[in-house]
Amino acid sequence: MSATWRLLDTGLRRAAENIALNRALLEAHQAGEAPHTLRFLRFRPSALIGFHQSPRQELHLDACARAGIEVQRRITGGGAIYFDEGQLGWELYLDRRTLGTADMGAIARRICEAAAAGIRRLGVDARFRPRNDIEVDGRKLSGTGGAFDGDSFLYQGTLLLDFDVERMLRVLRIPAEKLSGKAVAGARDRVVSLRELLGEVPPLETVQRHLAEAFAEAFGVTLEPGGLNAAEEARYREALAEIDTPEWVHLRDAPADEAPLLEGVHRARGGLIRAIVWLDEARDHVKQVLITGDFFVQPRRLVADLEAALKDVPRADLRARVEAFFREHEAALLMLEPADFVAALEAALASPTTDEAARP
Amino acid sequence: MECNGCEFHPELHYDREFQIWVRREADGTLTVGMTDISQTIAGKILHVRVRRPGTRRPPGKPVATIESGKWAGPVPNFFDCVIEEANAEVLDNPVLLNTDPYQAWIARVRPVDGPEAALSGFVTGEEARAGYCERARREDIHCRRQPG
Repeated sequence: MSATWRLLDTGLRRAAENIALNRALLEAHQAGEAPHTLRFLRFRPSALIGFHQSPRQELHLDACARAGIEVQRRITGGGAIYFDEGQLGWELYLDRRTLGTADMGAIARRICEAAAAGIRRLGVDARFRPRNDIEVDGRKLSGTGGAFDGDSFLYQGTLLLDFDVERMLRVLRIPAEKLSGKAVAGARDRVVSLRELLGEVPPLETVQRHLAEAFAEAFGVTLEPGGLNAAEEARYREALAEIDTPEWVHLRDAPADEAPLLEGVHRARGGLIRAIVWLDEARDHVKQVLITGDFFVQPRRLVADLEAALKDVPRADLRARVEAFFREHEAALLMLEPADFVAALEAALASPTTDEAARP
Repeated sequence: MECNGCEFHPELHYDREFQIWVRREADGTLTVGMTDISQTIAGKILHVRVRRPGTRRPPGKPVATIESGKWAGPVPNFFDCVIEEANAEVLDNPVLLNTDPYQAWIARVRPVDGPEAALSGFVTGEEARAGYCERARREDIHCRRQPG
Protein backbone atom coordinates (compact mmCIF):
# COMPACT_ATOMS: atom_id res chain seq x y z
CA MET A 1 0.00 0.00 0.00
CA SER A 2 1.37 3.41 -0.90
CA ALA A 3 1.89 6.15 1.65
CA THR A 4 -0.80 8.81 2.04
CA TRP A 5 -0.10 12.52 1.90
CA ARG A 6 -2.54 15.25 2.77
CA LEU A 7 -4.06 17.42 0.03
CA LEU A 8 -4.68 20.84 1.53
CA ASP A 9 -6.42 23.68 -0.29
CA THR A 10 -6.30 26.93 1.65
CA GLY A 11 -8.11 28.95 -1.04
CA LEU A 12 -7.77 32.66 -1.76
CA ARG A 13 -6.07 34.58 1.04
CA ARG A 14 -4.05 37.65 1.94
CA ALA A 15 -0.28 37.32 1.53
CA ALA A 16 0.38 37.60 5.29
CA GLU A 17 -1.98 34.66 5.93
CA ASN A 18 -0.42 32.55 3.21
CA ILE A 19 3.09 33.17 4.47
CA ALA A 20 2.12 32.61 8.10
CA LEU A 21 0.73 29.26 6.91
CA ASN A 22 4.10 28.51 5.27
CA ARG A 23 5.83 29.08 8.57
CA ALA A 24 3.22 27.19 10.64
CA LEU A 25 3.07 24.16 8.34
CA LEU A 26 6.85 23.89 8.02
CA GLU A 27 7.40 24.20 11.78
CA ALA A 28 4.65 21.70 12.51
CA HIS A 29 6.14 19.28 10.01
CA GLN A 30 9.58 19.62 11.55
CA ALA A 31 8.04 19.04 15.02
CA GLY A 32 6.38 15.86 13.78
CA GLU A 33 2.91 17.38 14.21
CA ALA A 34 1.94 17.47 10.55
CA PRO A 35 1.76 14.96 7.68
CA HIS A 36 3.51 15.24 4.33
CA THR A 37 1.36 17.68 2.42
CA LEU A 38 0.57 19.05 -1.02
CA ARG A 39 -0.99 22.48 -0.60
CA PHE A 40 -2.73 24.68 -3.15
CA LEU A 41 -2.99 28.39 -2.40
CA ARG A 42 -4.00 31.63 -4.06
CA PHE A 43 -3.26 35.26 -3.29
CA ARG A 44 -5.07 38.56 -3.31
CA PRO A 45 -2.84 41.04 -5.23
CA SER A 46 0.55 40.96 -3.53
CA ALA A 47 4.19 41.78 -4.10
CA LEU A 48 6.30 39.09 -2.45
CA ILE A 49 10.01 39.46 -1.82
CA GLY A 50 12.42 36.61 -1.12
CA PHE A 51 13.39 35.96 2.49
CA HIS A 52 16.70 37.84 2.37
CA GLN A 53 15.62 40.71 0.11
CA SER A 54 15.00 44.38 0.89
CA PRO A 55 11.59 45.79 -0.12
CA ARG A 56 12.97 49.14 -1.27
CA GLN A 57 15.46 47.41 -3.57
CA GLU A 58 12.96 45.05 -5.12
CA LEU A 59 9.66 46.93 -5.31
CA HIS A 60 8.10 50.23 -6.20
CA LEU A 61 6.48 50.64 -2.83
CA ASP A 62 4.52 53.75 -3.84
CA ALA A 63 3.01 51.93 -6.79
CA CYS A 64 2.10 49.01 -4.52
CA ALA A 65 0.44 51.36 -2.02
CA ARG A 66 -1.50 53.22 -4.72
CA ALA A 67 -2.81 50.00 -6.25
CA GLY A 68 -3.66 48.38 -2.90
CA ILE A 69 -1.08 45.64 -3.41
CA GLU A 70 0.02 43.98 -0.19
CA VAL A 71 3.78 43.76 0.32
CA GLN A 72 5.07 40.68 2.10
CA ARG A 73 8.28 38.81 2.79
CA ARG A 74 8.34 35.10 2.01
CA ILE A 75 10.10 32.55 4.17
CA THR A 76 11.52 30.98 1.00
CA GLY A 77 14.53 32.17 -0.96
CA GLY A 78 14.67 33.63 -4.46
CA GLY A 79 13.48 36.83 -6.05
CA ALA A 80 10.54 39.21 -5.85
CA ILE A 81 7.32 38.27 -7.61
CA TYR A 82 3.94 39.78 -8.27
CA PHE A 83 1.13 37.42 -7.33
CA ASP A 84 -2.62 37.81 -7.80
CA GLU A 85 -5.76 35.80 -8.50
CA GLY A 86 -4.31 34.93 -11.93
CA GLN A 87 -1.77 32.55 -10.41
CA LEU A 88 -2.02 29.28 -8.59
CA GLY A 89 0.47 28.45 -5.86
CA TRP A 90 1.49 24.87 -5.13
CA GLU A 91 3.63 23.67 -2.23
CA LEU A 92 5.04 20.44 -0.90
CA TYR A 93 5.90 19.85 2.78
CA LEU A 94 8.20 16.86 3.05
CA ASP A 95 11.50 15.82 4.57
CA ARG A 96 14.82 14.80 3.12
CA ARG A 97 14.53 11.34 4.63
CA THR A 98 11.38 10.63 2.61
CA LEU A 99 13.06 11.65 -0.63
CA GLY A 100 16.19 9.69 0.25
CA THR A 101 18.60 12.50 -0.50
CA ALA A 102 20.09 15.47 1.30
CA ASP A 103 21.02 17.19 -1.96
CA MET A 104 18.88 20.32 -2.15
CA GLY A 105 19.49 20.80 -5.86
CA ALA A 106 18.35 17.25 -6.59
CA ILE A 107 15.24 17.74 -4.44
CA ALA A 108 14.30 20.92 -6.32
CA ARG A 109 14.84 19.20 -9.66
CA ARG A 110 12.72 16.19 -8.76
CA ILE A 111 9.83 18.34 -7.55
CA CYS A 112 10.02 20.70 -10.54
CA GLU A 113 10.04 17.78 -12.96
CA ALA A 114 6.93 16.37 -11.29
CA ALA A 115 5.21 19.78 -11.49
CA ALA A 116 6.19 20.12 -15.15
CA ALA A 117 4.71 16.67 -15.85
CA GLY A 118 1.45 17.83 -14.25
CA ILE A 119 1.37 20.99 -16.35
CA ARG A 120 2.03 18.96 -19.50
CA ARG A 121 -1.23 17.09 -18.83
CA LEU A 122 -2.95 20.38 -19.64
CA GLY A 123 -1.53 20.20 -23.14
CA VAL A 124 1.50 22.49 -22.95
CA ASP A 125 5.13 21.45 -23.30
CA ALA A 126 6.34 22.47 -19.83
CA ARG A 127 9.94 21.65 -18.90
CA PHE A 128 12.17 22.19 -15.90
CA ARG A 129 14.87 24.81 -16.48
CA PRO A 130 17.70 24.80 -13.94
CA ARG A 131 17.96 26.05 -11.43
CA ASN A 132 14.40 26.78 -10.45
CA ASP A 133 12.02 27.54 -13.30
CA ILE A 134 9.46 25.64 -15.31
CA GLU A 135 9.22 26.97 -18.83
CA VAL A 136 7.62 26.46 -22.20
CA ASP A 137 9.95 27.04 -25.14
CA GLY A 138 12.22 29.36 -23.15
CA ARG A 139 9.39 31.31 -21.53
CA LYS A 140 8.80 31.06 -17.80
CA LEU A 141 5.46 29.61 -16.72
CA SER A 142 6.31 28.77 -13.13
CA GLY A 143 8.96 30.00 -10.70
CA THR A 144 9.88 28.04 -7.59
CA GLY A 145 11.79 28.26 -4.32
CA GLY A 146 12.17 26.52 -0.99
CA ALA A 147 12.69 26.78 2.74
CA PHE A 148 14.07 24.19 5.11
CA ASP A 149 13.97 23.65 8.83
CA GLY A 150 16.15 20.77 10.01
CA ASP A 151 15.16 17.70 7.99
CA SER A 152 11.82 19.16 6.87
CA PHE A 153 11.36 21.41 3.91
CA LEU A 154 8.77 23.37 2.03
CA TYR A 155 9.12 23.70 -1.72
CA GLN A 156 6.76 26.03 -3.55
CA GLY A 157 5.98 27.22 -7.03
CA THR A 158 3.70 29.57 -8.87
CA LEU A 159 1.79 28.70 -12.00
CA LEU A 160 0.75 31.55 -14.27
CA LEU A 161 -2.84 30.89 -15.27
CA ASP A 162 -3.33 34.43 -16.47
CA PHE A 163 -0.83 37.23 -16.16
CA ASP A 164 -0.76 41.00 -16.36
CA VAL A 165 2.80 41.87 -17.45
CA GLU A 166 2.26 45.64 -17.32
CA ARG A 167 1.10 45.39 -13.73
CA MET A 168 4.13 43.30 -12.83
CA LEU A 169 6.43 45.88 -14.43
CA ARG A 170 4.80 48.67 -12.42
CA VAL A 171 5.29 46.81 -9.15
CA LEU A 172 8.67 45.10 -9.44
CA ARG A 173 11.92 46.97 -9.68
CA ILE A 174 13.56 44.72 -12.27
CA PRO A 175 15.76 45.28 -15.31
CA ALA A 176 12.75 44.89 -17.64
CA GLU A 177 11.32 48.18 -16.40
CA LYS A 178 14.15 49.94 -18.18
CA LEU A 179 12.77 48.75 -21.46
CA SER A 180 10.30 50.76 -23.43
CA GLY A 181 8.17 50.41 -26.53
CA LYS A 182 9.25 47.50 -28.70
CA ALA A 183 11.54 46.20 -26.01
CA VAL A 184 8.68 45.66 -23.54
CA ALA A 185 7.59 42.94 -25.92
CA GLY A 186 10.97 41.38 -25.17
CA ALA A 187 10.14 41.33 -21.46
CA ARG A 188 6.74 39.89 -22.23
CA ASP A 189 8.45 37.16 -24.24
CA ARG A 190 10.23 35.92 -21.13
CA VAL A 191 7.07 34.86 -19.32
CA VAL A 192 3.99 33.05 -20.53
CA SER A 193 0.62 32.11 -19.04
CA LEU A 194 -1.70 29.20 -19.64
CA ARG A 195 -4.21 31.65 -21.12
CA GLU A 196 -1.70 32.64 -23.77
CA LEU A 197 -0.68 29.05 -24.50
CA LEU A 198 -4.15 27.52 -24.51
CA GLY A 199 -6.28 30.46 -25.60
CA GLU A 200 -8.23 30.31 -22.34
CA VAL A 201 -7.66 29.74 -18.65
CA PRO A 202 -8.49 26.13 -17.80
CA PRO A 203 -10.76 25.61 -14.79
CA LEU A 204 -8.87 25.79 -11.51
CA GLU A 205 -10.15 22.36 -10.48
CA THR A 206 -8.69 20.83 -13.64
CA VAL A 207 -5.28 22.41 -13.11
CA GLN A 208 -5.18 21.31 -9.47
CA ARG A 209 -6.29 17.78 -10.31
CA HIS A 210 -3.57 17.34 -12.94
CA LEU A 211 -0.88 18.72 -10.68
CA ALA A 212 -2.01 16.56 -7.77
CA GLU A 213 -2.09 13.43 -9.92
CA ALA A 214 1.36 14.15 -11.31
CA PHE A 215 2.86 14.65 -7.83
CA ALA A 216 1.13 11.49 -6.53
CA GLU A 217 2.49 9.51 -9.46
CA ALA A 218 6.01 10.93 -9.26
CA PHE A 219 6.32 10.14 -5.54
CA GLY A 220 4.24 6.95 -5.55
CA VAL A 221 1.72 8.19 -2.98
CA THR A 222 -2.00 8.64 -2.50
CA LEU A 223 -3.38 12.10 -1.74
CA GLU A 224 -6.22 12.52 0.69
CA PRO A 225 -7.99 15.87 1.19
CA GLY A 226 -7.67 17.28 4.72
CA GLY A 227 -7.67 20.51 6.72
CA LEU A 228 -5.34 22.07 9.29
CA ASN A 229 -4.95 20.21 12.58
CA ALA A 230 -5.08 21.90 16.00
CA ALA A 231 -1.29 22.13 16.36
CA GLU A 232 -1.03 23.83 12.97
CA GLU A 233 -3.87 26.23 13.82
CA ALA A 234 -2.05 27.29 17.00
CA ARG A 235 1.25 27.75 15.17
CA TYR A 236 -0.56 29.67 12.43
CA ARG A 237 -2.00 32.22 14.87
CA GLU A 238 1.43 32.70 16.42
CA ALA A 239 3.14 33.06 13.03
CA LEU A 240 0.53 35.52 11.76
CA ALA A 241 1.12 37.78 14.76
CA GLU A 242 4.79 38.06 13.76
CA ILE A 243 4.43 38.12 9.98
CA ASP A 244 1.47 40.47 9.55
CA THR A 245 3.61 43.43 10.67
CA PRO A 246 5.85 46.08 9.05
CA GLU A 247 8.75 44.78 11.17
CA TRP A 248 8.64 41.43 9.37
CA VAL A 249 8.23 43.00 5.92
CA HIS A 250 11.18 45.37 6.51
CA LEU A 251 13.33 42.83 8.38
CA ARG A 252 16.06 43.65 5.92
CA ASP A 253 15.81 47.10 4.43
CA ALA A 254 18.73 48.29 2.32
CA PRO A 255 18.03 51.38 0.17
CA ALA A 256 17.35 51.14 -3.56
CA ASP A 257 20.43 53.12 -4.57
CA GLU A 258 22.67 50.31 -3.30
CA ALA A 259 21.24 48.14 -6.08
CA PRO A 260 21.41 50.22 -9.26
CA LEU A 261 20.13 49.14 -12.66
CA LEU A 262 22.97 49.77 -15.11
CA GLU A 263 22.65 49.88 -18.84
CA GLY A 264 25.22 49.29 -21.57
CA VAL A 265 25.29 48.90 -25.32
CA HIS A 266 27.81 47.07 -27.48
CA ARG A 267 27.82 47.31 -31.25
CA ALA A 268 28.98 43.94 -32.56
CA ARG A 269 29.42 42.93 -36.20
CA GLY A 270 26.27 40.85 -35.90
CA GLY A 271 24.14 43.60 -34.42
CA LEU A 272 23.55 45.72 -31.39
CA ILE A 273 23.54 44.10 -27.92
CA ARG A 274 21.91 46.00 -25.08
CA ALA A 275 22.58 44.73 -21.55
CA ILE A 276 20.86 45.83 -18.38
CA VAL A 277 22.68 44.72 -15.27
CA TRP A 278 21.19 44.86 -11.81
CA LEU A 279 24.05 45.13 -9.35
CA ASP A 280 24.04 44.52 -5.61
CA GLU A 281 26.81 46.94 -4.67
CA ALA A 282 27.16 45.89 -1.06
CA ARG A 283 27.94 42.30 -2.08
CA ASP A 284 29.49 43.21 -5.44
CA HIS A 285 27.15 40.64 -6.99
CA VAL A 286 25.20 40.82 -10.21
CA LYS A 287 21.62 40.10 -9.18
CA GLN A 288 20.19 39.73 -12.64
CA VAL A 289 20.81 40.72 -16.25
CA LEU A 290 18.59 41.37 -19.23
CA ILE A 291 19.95 41.10 -22.76
CA THR A 292 18.14 42.47 -25.80
CA GLY A 293 19.08 43.79 -29.21
CA ASP A 294 18.81 43.12 -32.91
CA PHE A 295 21.35 40.30 -33.08
CA PHE A 296 20.50 36.77 -34.20
CA VAL A 297 21.03 33.59 -32.15
CA GLN A 298 19.74 30.03 -32.41
CA PRO A 299 18.04 28.47 -30.56
CA ARG A 300 15.86 31.43 -29.69
CA ARG A 301 15.75 30.47 -26.02
CA LEU A 302 19.49 30.84 -25.73
CA VAL A 303 19.24 34.39 -24.41
CA ALA A 304 16.78 33.31 -21.71
CA ASP A 305 19.11 30.50 -20.68
CA LEU A 306 22.09 32.85 -20.61
CA GLU A 307 20.14 35.28 -18.41
CA ALA A 308 19.23 32.39 -16.08
CA ALA A 309 22.91 31.35 -15.88
CA LEU A 310 23.90 34.89 -14.90
CA LYS A 311 21.63 35.23 -11.86
CA ASP A 312 23.39 36.11 -8.62
CA VAL A 313 26.95 35.92 -9.88
CA PRO A 314 29.91 37.68 -8.23
CA ARG A 315 30.81 40.60 -10.48
CA ALA A 316 34.36 39.29 -10.86
CA ASP A 317 33.08 35.96 -12.21
CA LEU A 318 30.79 37.39 -14.89
CA ARG A 319 33.14 36.97 -17.84
CA ALA A 320 34.10 33.42 -16.88
CA ARG A 321 30.43 32.53 -16.43
CA VAL A 322 29.52 33.78 -19.91
CA GLU A 323 32.42 31.87 -21.45
CA ALA A 324 31.49 28.69 -19.57
CA PHE A 325 27.88 29.07 -20.71
CA PHE A 326 28.86 29.13 -24.38
CA ARG A 327 31.16 26.15 -23.91
CA GLU A 328 28.27 24.15 -22.43
CA HIS A 329 25.55 25.21 -24.88
CA GLU A 330 25.18 24.54 -28.58
CA ALA A 331 24.72 27.97 -30.08
CA ALA A 332 24.55 29.38 -33.57
CA LEU A 333 25.73 32.96 -33.39
CA LEU A 334 25.54 35.02 -36.55
CA MET A 335 28.65 37.21 -36.67
CA LEU A 336 28.74 37.25 -32.89
CA GLU A 337 31.22 35.96 -30.34
CA PRO A 338 30.66 35.18 -26.66
CA ALA A 339 33.04 38.11 -26.10
CA ASP A 340 30.40 40.43 -27.57
CA PHE A 341 28.00 39.54 -24.75
CA VAL A 342 30.77 40.10 -22.23
CA ALA A 343 31.46 43.50 -23.82
CA ALA A 344 27.80 44.55 -23.48
CA LEU A 345 27.72 43.47 -19.83
CA GLU A 346 30.98 45.25 -19.10
CA ALA A 347 29.69 48.39 -20.80
CA ALA A 348 26.73 48.29 -18.41
CA LEU A 349 28.95 47.75 -15.36
CA ALA A 350 31.16 50.65 -16.43
CA SER A 351 28.24 53.03 -16.86
CA PRO A 352 27.78 55.73 -14.22
CA THR A 353 25.26 55.02 -11.49
CA THR A 354 22.36 57.25 -12.37
CA ASP A 355 19.67 55.14 -10.89
CA GLU A 356 16.25 56.47 -10.18
CA ALA A 357 15.76 55.21 -6.67
CA ALA A 358 12.66 57.32 -6.19
CA ARG A 359 11.07 56.41 -9.49
CA PRO A 360 7.43 55.51 -9.09
CA MET B 1 40.65 13.90 9.84
CA GLU B 2 38.04 13.26 7.21
CA CYS B 3 35.01 11.11 6.52
CA ASN B 4 33.49 10.91 3.01
CA GLY B 5 35.66 13.94 2.40
CA CYS B 6 33.97 15.80 5.29
CA GLU B 7 36.34 17.66 7.58
CA PHE B 8 35.99 17.01 11.32
CA HIS B 9 37.46 18.76 14.38
CA PRO B 10 37.37 16.67 17.58
CA GLU B 11 37.85 19.69 19.87
CA LEU B 12 34.51 21.24 18.82
CA HIS B 13 31.02 20.43 20.12
CA TYR B 14 28.24 19.23 17.80
CA ASP B 15 24.46 18.82 17.85
CA ARG B 16 23.17 15.26 17.42
CA GLU B 17 22.65 15.74 13.69
CA PHE B 18 26.02 17.50 13.17
CA GLN B 19 24.41 20.54 11.62
CA ILE B 20 26.41 23.08 13.64
CA TRP B 21 29.68 23.24 15.52
CA VAL B 22 30.19 25.16 18.76
CA ARG B 23 33.46 26.32 20.29
CA ARG B 24 33.84 27.26 23.97
CA GLU B 25 35.55 30.60 24.45
CA ALA B 26 37.51 31.66 27.57
CA ASP B 27 35.05 34.45 28.37
CA GLY B 28 32.07 32.08 28.72
CA THR B 29 30.66 32.80 25.26
CA LEU B 30 30.16 30.20 22.54
CA THR B 31 31.11 30.55 18.89
CA VAL B 32 28.76 28.91 16.40
CA GLY B 33 29.38 27.77 12.83
CA MET B 34 28.17 25.30 10.19
CA THR B 35 29.75 21.89 9.70
CA ASP B 36 31.26 20.70 6.45
CA ILE B 37 28.26 18.37 6.12
CA SER B 38 25.84 21.31 6.45
CA GLN B 39 27.61 23.57 3.98
CA THR B 40 27.75 20.72 1.47
CA ILE B 41 24.02 20.06 1.78
CA ALA B 42 23.23 23.77 1.54
CA GLY B 43 25.26 24.38 -1.62
CA LYS B 44 26.70 27.77 -2.47
CA ILE B 45 25.50 30.21 0.17
CA LEU B 46 24.41 33.60 -1.17
CA HIS B 47 22.96 35.27 1.92
CA VAL B 48 23.51 35.12 5.66
CA ARG B 49 21.56 37.05 8.22
CA VAL B 50 22.36 37.11 11.93
CA ARG B 51 19.94 38.54 14.47
CA ARG B 52 20.98 41.83 16.06
CA PRO B 53 23.50 41.69 18.96
CA GLY B 54 21.60 41.76 22.23
CA THR B 55 18.73 39.67 20.86
CA ARG B 56 17.75 36.71 23.03
CA ARG B 57 17.06 33.50 21.14
CA PRO B 58 15.44 30.54 22.90
CA PRO B 59 16.10 26.97 21.72
CA GLY B 60 14.44 26.35 18.35
CA LYS B 61 14.57 30.03 17.38
CA PRO B 62 17.48 30.50 14.99
CA VAL B 63 20.45 32.74 15.61
CA ALA B 64 21.05 33.04 11.88
CA THR B 65 19.47 32.21 8.53
CA ILE B 66 21.10 31.30 5.25
CA GLU B 67 20.04 31.16 1.61
CA SER B 68 21.50 29.21 -1.28
CA GLY B 69 20.10 28.67 -4.75
CA LYS B 70 16.59 29.76 -3.75
CA TRP B 71 16.52 27.64 -0.57
CA ALA B 72 16.29 29.63 2.67
CA GLY B 73 16.43 28.30 6.19
CA PRO B 74 17.73 28.62 9.71
CA VAL B 75 21.08 27.70 11.12
CA PRO B 76 19.50 25.70 13.95
CA ASN B 77 19.82 26.82 17.54
CA PHE B 78 19.62 24.40 20.46
CA PHE B 79 20.08 26.55 23.59
CA ASP B 80 18.81 29.74 25.16
CA CYS B 81 21.29 32.49 24.30
CA VAL B 82 21.89 36.17 23.66
CA ILE B 83 23.68 37.20 20.48
CA GLU B 84 26.92 39.06 21.14
CA GLU B 85 28.46 39.41 17.71
CA ALA B 86 28.07 38.38 14.08
CA ASN B 87 31.05 37.60 11.89
CA ALA B 88 31.10 40.68 9.65
CA GLU B 89 33.39 38.96 7.15
CA VAL B 90 30.85 36.19 6.62
CA LEU B 91 27.97 38.66 6.33
CA ASP B 92 29.89 40.41 3.53
CA ASN B 93 31.04 37.24 1.84
CA PRO B 94 28.74 34.31 2.69
CA VAL B 95 30.55 31.84 0.45
CA LEU B 96 33.27 31.71 3.14
CA LEU B 97 30.87 29.31 4.92
CA ASN B 98 31.39 26.96 1.96
CA THR B 99 35.08 27.45 1.37
CA ASP B 100 36.27 27.32 4.98
CA PRO B 101 33.42 26.22 7.27
CA TYR B 102 35.51 25.87 10.45
CA GLN B 103 37.26 29.24 10.15
CA ALA B 104 34.15 31.08 8.98
CA TRP B 105 32.23 31.26 12.24
CA ILE B 106 28.75 32.77 12.08
CA ALA B 107 28.01 34.25 15.49
CA ARG B 108 29.31 34.50 19.03
CA VAL B 109 26.56 34.04 21.62
CA ARG B 110 26.26 34.12 25.42
CA PRO B 111 24.36 31.11 26.75
CA VAL B 112 21.79 32.27 29.32
CA ASP B 113 22.35 29.28 31.64
CA GLY B 114 26.11 29.09 31.09
CA PRO B 115 28.16 27.07 28.58
CA GLU B 116 28.04 23.84 30.59
CA ALA B 117 24.25 23.61 30.45
CA ALA B 118 24.10 24.82 26.86
CA LEU B 119 26.43 22.07 25.67
CA SER B 120 24.89 19.28 27.73
CA GLY B 121 23.03 17.90 24.71
CA PHE B 122 26.07 18.17 22.44
CA VAL B 123 28.74 15.62 21.55
CA THR B 124 32.48 16.10 21.16
CA GLY B 125 35.75 14.20 20.62
CA GLU B 126 35.82 10.62 19.38
CA GLU B 127 32.13 10.01 20.13
CA ALA B 128 31.31 12.95 17.86
CA ARG B 129 33.63 11.71 15.14
CA ALA B 130 31.86 8.34 15.02
CA GLY B 131 28.42 10.01 14.78
CA TYR B 132 29.60 12.53 12.21
CA CYS B 133 31.01 9.82 9.94
CA GLU B 134 27.93 7.69 10.46
CA ARG B 135 25.66 10.49 9.25
CA ALA B 136 27.83 11.21 6.22
CA ARG B 137 27.78 7.51 5.27
CA ARG B 138 24.11 6.90 6.10
CA GLU B 139 22.95 9.83 3.98
CA ASP B 140 25.68 9.33 1.38
CA ILE B 141 26.96 12.87 1.82
CA HIS B 142 30.27 13.54 0.11
CA CYS B 143 31.63 16.88 1.18
CA ARG B 144 32.83 19.30 -1.44
CA ARG B 145 34.08 22.83 -1.24
CA GLN B 146 32.68 25.52 -3.46
CA PRO B 147 35.13 27.58 -5.45
CA GLY B 148 35.38 30.95 -3.73
